Amino acid sequence: MTPKAIDVVIAGGGVVGHATAWELARRDVEVLIVDRHLPGRATSASAGGLWPVGEAVGLGCGVIYQAARTGSDSGDAVPATLPVVFRDFLVESNRRFPALAEELKDLTGVDIELDSGPGLLFLMQTARQQSVVDNIVRGLPDGFVLEVLSPEEVAELEPAVSTDIVGGALLPGEDQLNPMMLTEAYKRAALASGARLQHDRLVDEILREDDRVVGVRLGEETISCGHVVNAAGAWAGQLAATAGISLPVEPVRGQVVLTQALPPVLASCLSTSSCYLAQKRHGEILIGSTTEHVGFDTGVTEDGIRQLCRGAVRAIPSLADVGVKRTWAGLRPGTPDEMPVLGPVAGVQGYANVTGGFRTGIVAAPLMARVTAQTIVGETPDVVIEPYLAERFAG
Amino acid sequence: MSSNPQATGRAAAETPRLVVVGAGPAGMATAITLAERGLSVTVVDQNPHPGGQIYRFPAVTPKTPQTPERGAMLRQHLAEHSERITVLPEHNLVDIHPGPRLSLCGPDGFRIVEADHLVLAPGAYEYVPPFPGWTLPGVITPGAAQQLVKSQGVAPGRRVLLAGTGPFLLVVALALHEVGVQVAGIIDTLRRRDAFWQLPSLLADGKLLKQGFDYVAGVSKAGIPLMTGHIVTRAEGHGRLEQVVVAPCDGDWVPDHNRSRPVVVDTLCVGYGFVPRVDLAQLAGCELAPTNLPGGWIPVTDPWGQTSVPGVWTAGDGAGVAGAIVAELAGQLVGLGVASSCGAIESSEAERSAEPIRERLHQLGRFRRGLDELGWPRPGLSQLADESTVVCRCEEIRRDEIDAAISAGSTTLRSLKVATRLGMGPCQGRMCQPACSRRLIDLGCNTLEEIGPPAFRPPLVPLTLGQLAGNDEESEDLELVENTPHAGPAP
Repeated sequence: MTPKAIDVVIAGGGVVGHATAWELARRDVEVLIVDRHLPGRATSASAGGLWPVGEAVGLGCGVIYQAARTGSDSGDAVPATLPVVFRDFLVESNRRFPALAEELKDLTGVDIELDSGPGLLFLMQTARQQSVVDNIVRGLPDGFVLEVLSPEEVAELEPAVSTDIVGGALLPGEDQLNPMMLTEAYKRAALASGARLQHDRLVDEILREDDRVVGVRLGEETISCGHVVNAAGAWAGQLAATAGISLPVEPVRGQVVLTQALPPVLASCLSTSSCYLAQKRHGEILIGSTTEHVGFDTGVTEDGIRQLCRGAVRAIPSLADVGVKRTWAGLRPGTPDEMPVLGPVAGVQGYANVTGGFRTGIVAAPLMARVTAQTIVGETPDVVIEPYLAERFAG
Repeated sequence: MSSNPQATGRAAAETPRLVVVGAGPAGMATAITLAERGLSVTVVDQNPHPGGQIYRFPAVTPKTPQTPERGAMLRQHLAEHSERITVLPEHNLVDIHPGPRLSLCGPDGFRIVEADHLVLAPGAYEYVPPFPGWTLPGVITPGAAQQLVKSQGVAPGRRVLLAGTGPFLLVVALALHEVGVQVAGIIDTLRRRDAFWQLPSLLADGKLLKQGFDYVAGVSKAGIPLMTGHIVTRAEGHGRLEQVVVAPCDGDWVPDHNRSRPVVVDTLCVGYGFVPRVDLAQLAGCELAPTNLPGGWIPVTDPWGQTSVPGVWTAGDGAGVAGAIVAELAGQLVGLGVASSCGAIESSEAERSAEPIRERLHQLGRFRRGLDELGWPRPGLSQLADESTVVCRCEEIRRDEIDAAISAGSTTLRSLKVATRLGMGPCQGRMCQPACSRRLIDLGCNTLEEIGPPAFRPPLVPLTLGQLAGNDEESEDLELVENTPHAGPAP
């Protein structure tokens, strides 16, 4: 057997797996990506919203999550906020997209469809939501902008939006891209930098000898390697367990609805307490997303789809007559604190996590991948990795 | 019927809830078999009248050709059992949830139907791989032409050329001729000597073989030129079809472009056999298996037609294209299987009744294999498209864009979809993905197993957000109250 033909095996080819592959391959690391497209991959059910502050203060899809979690009437949902350190992580990751889009385009010819509009616009539909937004504005540090808009100002910005609102909260610069094109671009960049792709295969087991990982098993085949990177998304917990590593990542289902292609309807990305809406480059409006702990069930439900469609029609009444092209669901890799899990695991050599992107996986992907790759090759990471180590869940 | 699924709590002795989707020959035969065994069944069909595509209910216009006698007879049987068979016409299946539990959309809106046994008989659709000019107005399928003539009494054009492969071209040519359409000719890729080698299998069913000869004789009598060993290489015209280019082809269906010539027509009906509709089976969670026939995938079933999902059965062309006669027999077989599963008949009785059906199916199977050998798409077919040919009509993706994505490493349908938007349109890849699978195989990228079946998503029919949001827009509760009407089982 050829010893160590591979330096790093990456288990999982969602956006984060391919991004990490590229970050490693461009550092001259021998990389093999092992990927099977299982139904329910979160990358394929993401809106591609780049809403770092929106998510951090709870006005992105987190507000829908909160409404679902508390079981409260959607009008009364109080958004949860993410830790400041992670907010800054998201902001920093997001800052890199314009340059990244250029770089990936030059390298691969793939356009990640990074579109900037007015920003992320949260529709306040009740007086209570207005007071929540007022609180968020008061709590924002210098340098962060959240514009509170009157219904008239919302109407001017987004004429299609229902006039039956209390107002809007606009986060300028919170944009969107096409998550599948981002993944494709990362994949092609990784391959162009020398990474190899083992397509339609699954890492069934991470092979471990004492305190170090020595390879992976794909069905009958074993591949020895110096490092295994667990980028298995919602399945990461299961994969980690094969090497006796505890990783509290759980699938969190998100159902989405995609409309037929429409002429421009929305300039901003919209969020409400029951759904978000983003019109994509080709004209379809993506409406997401439920937040459900139902294991690995990737089906859509009548209630889930109805809830999203009602939310969408309530936000933009003219959508009632618009055709739905598809509905489907993805499984977000959820963690207890809604933050990613990155880097090495204490007591296990040759293993790294890069998962747990939950509902911010797209915006966080560039930095998640970069920091993980830097840790593996021994560079100083761009941002501190400690808050994201798996050991935070211990005990 | 309660909206809460109670299936698990139901005693076996209770009336089983039986649902058949599709009222073509397979679906009708299943329902009739079940009714004959004393069971009640609901038949869901998208058309206003039972019959499916092959036995489509004729338009009132007297000039249109008569529907085959067999179809009229099945419809009559269905009507005779009306106290046991409830037909829901003009109902489209939107989604299948576990249970199985069906979301249907009909003229009165949504309804949910729960089933203890669900029989899928969705039929097939025509296989048309891309070739230059195939998106021009005036290029349609033989089935579309047949439908226009049969149910609307409308001629698809003044001067029509039929092209592709298989006996269906002859059937449609005759139907068009009868309503006064000028049929310029039939272009079949098969060469007469190919058919000769399949004679031993084709002789397995003398009656069907004779029927085939009758069609050929009918075409000849009607003065319709039948050109074998030829293929349509392109359709041309400004804004709409003006002429079709035809060339002789070899056994691999590779055309000899040097000997090509134009045929002036305003309509081209082109089809290379049929693709089983597996979208329903896929949504129901049924395991699919690869085949080398168009489309490439069919549901895995046991000898009774039950799929890998207990309680979900399939029959007819949707389970593997074999034509109306086989579909009807397969429907009877599934009916017996379901009846036996419900305890309406003893399994020994089911076996006894199945025996003659299976014998006949075996005999027809040999004939069918002969036809399949003749008709399965040859490599030349997927080489017709040139670089600028639009392959995915919905998203207007060209052949060169697809080839570029393939050489960049997208060697499965899913990765091609991500890279190019192929199949992301309203047809969900029904049109382009069978041809793209074939192209990937021809290029040696992957085997069919590795490429995998196309992934279908609900809704299977176009619906609006308003329809999916439901009527009760006042209610904003997260805990939504079921507000759709429920179809109970047939009483």
